[in-house]
Amino acid sequence: MSRPSVTVIGADGAPSKDTIALPEVFKAPIRPDIVHQVHTGMAKNKRQPYAVSPKAGHQTSAESWGTGRAVARIPRVSGGGTHRAGQAAFGNMCRSGRMFAPTKTWRKWHQKINLGQKRFATASALAASSSAALLLARGHNISQVPEVPLVIASSGFAPTKTSAAVALLKAVGAGPDVEKVKKSRKLRAGKGKLRGRRHQQRRGPLIVYSPEDGPELARSFRNIPGVETSSVHALNLLQLAPGGHLGRFVIWTSSAFSALDTIYGSTTEASALKKDFLLPSAVMKNPDLSKIINSSEIQSVLRPVRGGKITKRPNGQKKNPLVNKQIQYRLNPYAAAYSKEKLGQFKKEDTSKPKRVNETYHGLLHEN
Amino acid sequence: MATNISSDLIWEITRGHSANLVKRKAAGGVQFSRDPLNLKNVYRRKYEGLVNDQAFGIQPSADGGVILLVKKSNKSNKPASSLQSTTFGSGKSSRKTYSGIVNSTTRHGYRPDLRAEAVSRASAIRKSQKPVKADRPTKLRGAKAKAAA
Repeated sequence: MSRPSVTVIGADGAPSKDTIALPEVFKAPIRPDIVHQVHTGMAKNKRQPYAVSPKAGHQTSAESWGTGRAVARIPRVSGGGTHRAGQAAFGNMCRSGRMFAPTKTWRKWHQKINLGQKRFATASALAASSSAALLLARGHNISQVPEVPLVIASSGFAPTKTSAAVALLKAVGAGPDVEKVKKSRKLRAGKGKLRGRRHQQRRGPLIVYSPEDGPELARSFRNIPGVETSSVHALNLLQLAPGGHLGRFVIWTSSAFSALDTIYGSTTEASALKKDFLLPSAVMKNPDLSKIINSSEIQSVLRPVRGGKITKRPNGQKKNPLVNKQIQYRLNPYAAAYSKEKLGQFKKEDTSKPKRVNETYHGLLHEN
Repeated sequence: MATNISSDLIWEITRGHSANLVKRKAAGGVQFSRDPLNLKNVYRRKYEGLVNDQAFGIQPSADGGVILLVKKSNKSNKPASSLQSTTFGSGKSSRKTYSGIVNSTTRHGYRPDLRAEAVSRASAIRKSQKPVKADRPTKLRGAKAKAAA
């Protein structure tokens, strides 16, 4: 079987005649669990330590008054002449006391992530970026994108101005996704506004280039909202699977795309640039479960379905004896004669009231 | 498309979170879908257009008819050309619209399991496009009727 190939799209958006065989990394197993776990760890590794002042709430010479003064034994500010004197101090329940378990700068801020797992997650996220369904599920607007993965010819991919870069994105069908990002810009809820994270917006396409494409490329794209750029040699899971969700819309330059096989190698050939790395191979060669279940190999060893499509009633259909005469005659042999003689339609002629029983009967009945 | 992705896998990845998924706490946590290829707007494996290789959707068209969107299963990695759309205009009778939808999809083996859903969605759309009848003026009774007369 020949390897599936990807058409190279020209900078004007028209497909060219060139194709590139799909790099092996796109056949890596897609493991959302690994990607999520690695992402959780990696997202923590950019944090800076913070803590409250270690002195906070302890800058007073408070002492407990001890028992016998009908107040709680909490330390109280000494002295007089100010309202502060005699107020409780230090405790986390006190006004201007220390917080409970004051935060420390030596908290464990960073997570070690095994290199093998990181590489697995990156390969997995790359593989997921080749599925249009996963891109759509992540929320990318790719209805005008000619092909996924989207590979643009490096020869035409050299915008030096942002306006040219925007025009290129529009030409290759990434316009709606960039537009979506622009519209999504919102003020962040909460304190983050004051901490340099004023706005929130969606993520647009990630443009992956190779160093051969020149230094202007990243500069021309950097001012377009939502568009990120990355060198193919420094792909980052935080960009390939933002939020730990698979399926980032990636636009490749053709030189970056063809570099993937040397960077990641295959399941049998070691990567040229990563030490001791073979692409992970899938546990299931064919992930199409329904195809496996419906295959003749599986179906031939299964017992046939009992009863088939329509289940038969074990004792035949139940008939209503009040409606069905044959069933009624079987249950009540008299019914035939009854209906033949038309006894049901026979009108009683004597309509007078029944005679009362005589006195002797009542006497016998109540005899004690 | 690469051979390592199947619709079963896509469903396992996206069943918990997807751009199409609308989760609400009401009615025991309903899960609806915004997928245009979802005939019931319900987030299920059977109805999700993203997940299934074959899927079709029915949307109202601007002129009062319906649009049938059919997913081309051999174009799954070409989003721009993966949908085929057919318009059944407002001039076409409802029955002909239904049979047109059914004949072009379920009748020749393209998702025969969605036949009833397709017809009922098309029917609901056609019904919603009819002009709304104004309420009858209420007949006054009792004291109000006397006052009005």
